[in-house]
Amino acid sequence: MTLSFILNGEDVSARVRSVDRLSDLLREHFGLLGLQSDCRGGRCGRCLIMLGGRLVPSCILPAFRIRGMEVVTIEGFSQTDEYQDIVAGFKSAGVETCGFCDSAKILATATLLERRTRPTNAEILEQLSVAPCRCTDPETLVHGVQAAAERRARRLYHRAR
Amino acid sequence: MRRREKPDENRPITTGDLTVEGMIHAATVRSPVARGSVRSIEFPRLPTGYRGILPEDIPGANTMTCFGASIPVLAHDSLSYAGEPVALITGPDPVLLEELAAATKVLCEAEEALFSWESFSSEQVAAKRVAVLGDPDLAFSIAETVLEDDYTSKALEHYYSEPQGAAASYDYDKMAVWCATQWPYHVRDSVALVLGCKQEEVSVRPTRLGVHLDGKLWYPSLLACHAALASFVCGRPVKLMLTREEDFLYTPKRARSSVNVRTALGRGGDLAGLDLRIAINVGAYPLLAEEMLGQAVFAATCVYACPNLRVEAYAVLTNHPPMGPFGGLGASHSFFALETHLNRLASLKGEDPMDWKSRNVLHKGQTILTGEPLKDEVPYAAIAEKLAAMSDYRRKYACYELVRKRRGGRGEGPLRGIGFSFAYQGSGPFLSGEDSNAYTVEAVLDKDLHAWLRTSAAVGSDGVLGIWRRRAAKILGLPLEAISVVPPLTDNVPNSGPSTLSRNVTVVNRLVGRACEAIQKRRFRDPLPLTAKSVYRVPRPILWEEGRVRGSPFDTAAWAAAAVELELDPWTFEPRPIGVWMCLDGGEIVQSERAAAAVRIGAFDALGACMRERVDPTERLGHREEYFRYGLEPLDELPPISVAFLEPGRRAAVKGIGELPFNTIPAAFLSALSQAGGAPFTSLPVAAAEIIRATETP
Repeated sequence: MTLSFILNGEDVSARVRSVDRLSDLLREHFGLLGLQSDCRGGRCGRCLIMLGGRLVPSCILPAFRIRGMEVVTIEGFSQTDEYQDIVAGFKSAGVETCGFCDSAKILATATLLERRTRPTNAEILEQLSVAPCRCTDPETLVHGVQAAAERRARRLYHRAR
Repeated sequence: MRRREKPDENRPITTGDLTVEGMIHAATVRSPVARGSVRSIEFPRLPTGYRGILPEDIPGANTMTCFGASIPVLAHDSLSYAGEPVALITGPDPVLLEELAAATKVLCEAEEALFSWESFSSEQVAAKRVAVLGDPDLAFSIAETVLEDDYTSKALEHYYSEPQGAAASYDYDKMAVWCATQWPYHVRDSVALVLGCKQEEVSVRPTRLGVHLDGKLWYPSLLACHAALASFVCGRPVKLMLTREEDFLYTPKRARSSVNVRTALGRGGDLAGLDLRIAINVGAYPLLAEEMLGQAVFAATCVYACPNLRVEAYAVLTNHPPMGPFGGLGASHSFFALETHLNRLASLKGEDPMDWKSRNVLHKGQTILTGEPLKDEVPYAAIAEKLAAMSDYRRKYACYELVRKRRGGRGEGPLRGIGFSFAYQGSGPFLSGEDSNAYTVEAVLDKDLHAWLRTSAAVGSDGVLGIWRRRAAKILGLPLEAISVVPPLTDNVPNSGPSTLSRNVTVVNRLVGRACEAIQKRRFRDPLPLTAKSVYRVPRPILWEEGRVRGSPFDTAAWAAAAVELELDPWTFEPRPIGVWMCLDGGEIVQSERAAAAVRIGAFDALGACMRERVDPTERLGHREEYFRYGLEPLDELPPISVAFLEPGRRAAVKGIGELPFNTIPAAFLSALSQAGGAPFTSLPVAAAEIIRATETP
């Protein structure tokens, strides 16, 4: 079947089979390698995307389910100001990741900051548990998200003025 | 080849992202039995473009050697574990390949498999280490107190950043191999042996390693052999990528261990005799077995002064998949058992474990297992004092001990406890001599005053690269931007050995320094470019002869102590850590924030191993249900962790500290649990049901 949807702000279409997973479609058809598909069971969080503004694991989602919906991957999100806030916040706090879970952590932070402008430590850690990885130092990560929240709030304040 | 827009030496491509023009995939056909031999392999009807590969297709040797042990690349005559690779299928669609591999009939002559390992027969012993000092039998016969316990630890999944995988393709006259490995030159030599070609005809191009916890030491070489064989047979680029589930079920895990500790106390309550029997289940193949035993024996005997000791350590073969290192090569098994035991011993004598250990710790000049005097003072007093101040350990221990003694019934009063543990991490050479090569790092200063460091040492994070670059920049007097580390392709860099035992920050870092110093000496005499090599010759191995041990157990040692405070949920008896404190003597700390973050990450992993993570092998190493149950500890359930470093001496060297959380936290956790529950616990991880059962027993 041919499927049309919005991918990173652009109208796209692709031919898919009923058995195709969304993660495979995004990686193989569209070459979006920022997400990975390690566990194929929605557990490792490496394949997280934003679907209609919500964080979902794309490896357990059948590709045909996204007909007409808006999908944002890390590649698309990296073009936004929010991405710059998060990356700068992480950098200033010294957040170091293994390079495999970066995209999941950034997208998880983005959806959290969309909901809560000043998240608590517990909210941050709960949200970032969606991408379990042995590289994570929660203390630095909390500082990173708080710094990102600060930058985001400052940017939105200046824009509003 | 599809690559990132800006190639970054620090962040090479991942194996999963790698694609090569015309690339097909490979899937593994596995043994259905744990022990026996293959009678026949019947592939299903394979579509066009798909092909089965059998052991007879191997042009060279059907074997891979590593640390004195050899394992078949595709097993046939002797199957050693369920899930062992016996054949490969190649084709363009990885999903169809999985189905074809599952539909392949492997007919076997099954034999009775060996799964018992805590009690074992002599034919299961793959390696043995025995060391005796003084007269332990006499010490036990006249001892005032003798205490004996068995301690067991379960297997653990490495849960590395990316599942294992490899890709291979002919690049003109060379076989190019991509995989995430801790040891690129081992991959090269293994592939050359399997293809029957010269080592120079294989080029290894390491992909992004990420967090590995020593799980990518030798297994990537096996997968690289499979990918290279498939590429050789099919004449096309081939990628073999394991799924997370496949990786969980069939790749090496942390070895299980059982340690029997018997201690004898003299009249003053000090350690008079120590008798340990260590059994490490290494699974189907004894890779690194001698090394693990050596590390375990020294860990058990190089911290506390004991005039009479006997240690027997066995590597036990079973028909489980191979098991081995996990964030260290075996020392953590001994530290866990010994430290938990000594904490219990002190508690039974009515003494604070911190004080008891202070009286019994080794001092400079005292004789260690090798018969040599200890060269440096063990920084116990400074570490323990700082840790006690950070954690308020002494007051808390006394309070919780009082509560424990006065507790009337199960669940009465606050169920809290605090545990303490002290350990070291040795860095540098292998003790077993199984790795006797000379390892090299090369530095080049070019005409543009840019320095290039060439080493095959694999790094999991950017932190280590930063340490090397800083050191080179300091010696050469150049800005940090003028120092680059060459991507570790085996064509471009010399062999710097396996990246384990914190060698990257000890041995390789030292070699970087020496090579840069050699350049600096010639810099204003000779014209640029200048090249200098620095070679590390592995010292003589430890000799084990009839109970006597000779040699030096470690190059450098970092020391640490940990305190873990926890409470039990009064309704469910689930342990909930309240706080973890660690104090370390890690020598020169190059970047203290990064070092503290690395220790905290290790501490979280170690806590996970104490609480949630467990693989309980029965006939297989793991089951599908276990795979779905297994997971890392959620971040929001972890306690705060405080890390402090001792001020280094003026001439302190950089030391490895990454293994210290695994060496200290499990014992501290279990001791805290024993105090909170009011019953001794001897195995990790502990389920709430076990705690309830133990506290029911008077």
